[in-house]
Amino acid sequence: MVNNDLFADFSKQSPKGIVVIYAKLLFKAFKATWILLIIFIQRFSKFSEEALVYIYAGIGIFLVFFLIRAYFIYKNFLFKIDNGQFILKEGVLKKNNTSISFDRIQNINFKQNLIQQLINVYEVSIETAGSKDTEIAIKALSYDKAQALKTALSLVRKKTKQIELCDEQHKPLLKIGLKELFKVSLTENHLQNLLVFIALVFGVLQQLNDVFKGIGKDDVLGNYTDVNPTDIFNSLIFFIILMLILFVIGVLSSFVRVLLFHFNLTLFIKDDSFDITQGLLTKKSIILSKAKVQSITISTNPIKNKLGISFVTFKQAVSGKVKKQQHKLIRIIGCKVAQIKTIKELLYVENSVDDETTYTPDSYYALRMYFRSAMGIVILNGIILFLLKDVTWLWGNMFVIPLTFVLIHLKYKKAFYQFNKELLLIGKGRVETHITYLPFFKVQNIKINQTIFQKRKKVVNLVLQTASGKITLPCVEENRAITLYNYILYKVESSKESWM
Amino acid sequence: MEFSNIEILQLPDISKVTFKRIHKDYLKVLILSSLTLFSVLFFIVFLLKMNVEEVRMFPYVNYIYLILLLVFLVLIIAFGIGFSRRKYALRDKDVTYKSGVLIKKITTVPFSRIQHVEISEAPISRLFKLASLNVFTAGDSSNDLVIKGIKKEESLKIKEFINQQING
Repeated sequence: MVNNDLFADFSKQSPKGIVVIYAKLLFKAFKATWILLIIFIQRFSKFSEEALVYIYAGIGIFLVFFLIRAYFIYKNFLFKIDNGQFILKEGVLKKNNTSISFDRIQNINFKQNLIQQLINVYEVSIETAGSKDTEIAIKALSYDKAQALKTALSLVRKKTKQIELCDEQHKPLLKIGLKELFKVSLTENHLQNLLVFIALVFGVLQQLNDVFKGIGKDDVLGNYTDVNPTDIFNSLIFFIILMLILFVIGVLSSFVRVLLFHFNLTLFIKDDSFDITQGLLTKKSIILSKAKVQSITISTNPIKNKLGISFVTFKQAVSGKVKKQQHKLIRIIGCKVAQIKTIKELLYVENSVDDETTYTPDSYYALRMYFRSAMGIVILNGIILFLLKDVTWLWGNMFVIPLTFVLIHLKYKKAFYQFNKELLLIGKGRVETHITYLPFFKVQNIKINQTIFQKRKKVVNLVLQTASGKITLPCVEENRAITLYNYILYKVESSKESWM
Repeated sequence: MEFSNIEILQLPDISKVTFKRIHKDYLKVLILSSLTLFSVLFFIVFLLKMNVEEVRMFPYVNYIYLILLLVFLVLIIAFGIGFSRRKYALRDKDVTYKSGVLIKKITTVPFSRIQHVEISEAPISRLFKLASLNVFTAGDSSNDLVIKGIKKEESLKIKEFINQQING
């Protein structure tokens, strides 16, 4: 079963990799020039025959050039396993030599985008910790070879542990079908999805607008956006219809997003790791070992709560200055109570925190939020009065002030923390409820901040820095914070377990 | 809470640790470097006033000098108050730094979580043979621990000590 010899010499990707690389190059080129293409198609009839020939020839040369480039990228991409190191050689003109020792490998993930799914190859990405280049992607490997590579890498890493490859016998802990997915998507945060959608649309419109302005056609899109605002606000029916349309778009975008990211979600549990597969266009398969998880967050909202479902976010360790949030977050949706229980048990075998005392932040926390929002609203009103000189806009306060008040109240009411000997539990949220579980020994460093106002109230902010971001306990009573500070340090310093 | 009665009593207490102040010369470094910065700013405003018509015509141009001076004074006062609060402590298993005028901060990094330690010397600090010690842990590097303004030899000693603790 040990396929180490298979990778003892340099090997290439599957020849199908050329297609994948080619597609990627083309996609990148398309992304950079799609606006030019639109202009080209629009003015198609205005070009002379001679010009068209040149344009086609140019495009043809580019296509061939990319194909040659893809071939050379493929040809120069070599990898092998040697002496406990994964060695990668790449680069056509600028040669690059990377070697990664096994103990720095954090995860080995399989991925399939649409093209990779069509030609049946797998992208293997190797995530590492402790360096700037956190991820190495091998674009195309056959399933057998991908598995073999994974086994080879994992085998050397955990010398004593045998990796079982008996997927068929395992029953998934969680499997979400299309019907279930639809149900889950209905309970999503539609407002957030709507905003994402609107931002996306505006981004594209903006880009188009810039281009058409550039070529002296600025009224092309002007017609769509030039609506007299007073007409809108005078017509209540229009407003209601608009709201309905926005609501429908919100629900639809929730559904599309859930479908794209979580299609065919399956979760297996093997030994001490999770095996998560999900995604429609890009199918992702992630092996998440228990030790790499820094904290988990279980989230729900009122509707989800009624249906008895919630979603779980795993936070992994990140290294260097990785800005991409999604890299360290792995989210699975539609978990039932029993499944949540299994996940929790697997991660934190220790007894539950249910019987422990619940602590809430000091009332100064609410006071501070009210004060800050009040300041914000006053300043906003000032700006509106100063700039627009129109008192009717101030009616907006009727809507904004109660909403802010309710949201702050909810946020304060939902904030709490609990702990037992091993585990800290932090609750937060406004409409949604997020509960984070953090084992003490995963803490990297710990901080207490106290403003002069907090000093008067004898409260502090306790900040726990983990490898996947910081967790703040706001406005904790001073003495309790110091006790916790001492205890967490004691737990971290006496812990024999590796945090990663 | 059972441990708060039994275990906590024996735990090392951060609030009872004797902290060490950073080197007194660092105050000079702070003042000197802000002096340099503000002289440059003053000079820029002066040059603009001499050479650019719009700036000379700007009615409040002399207030800019006043504002700059005010900011400078506030900064110096803040340094003066805050300086005695910049303290650090090394224990068997961790390193702690605290500081802050308006917001008091205290940070502790356990040795077992340190990725690496760096010593850096800024130009003005070098005149006084001072260095700063940067401690890095996993995760967001912006939130780690920096002790500015200790003697170079001292910083090397601490670095050596931490390295021993990590590897030993």
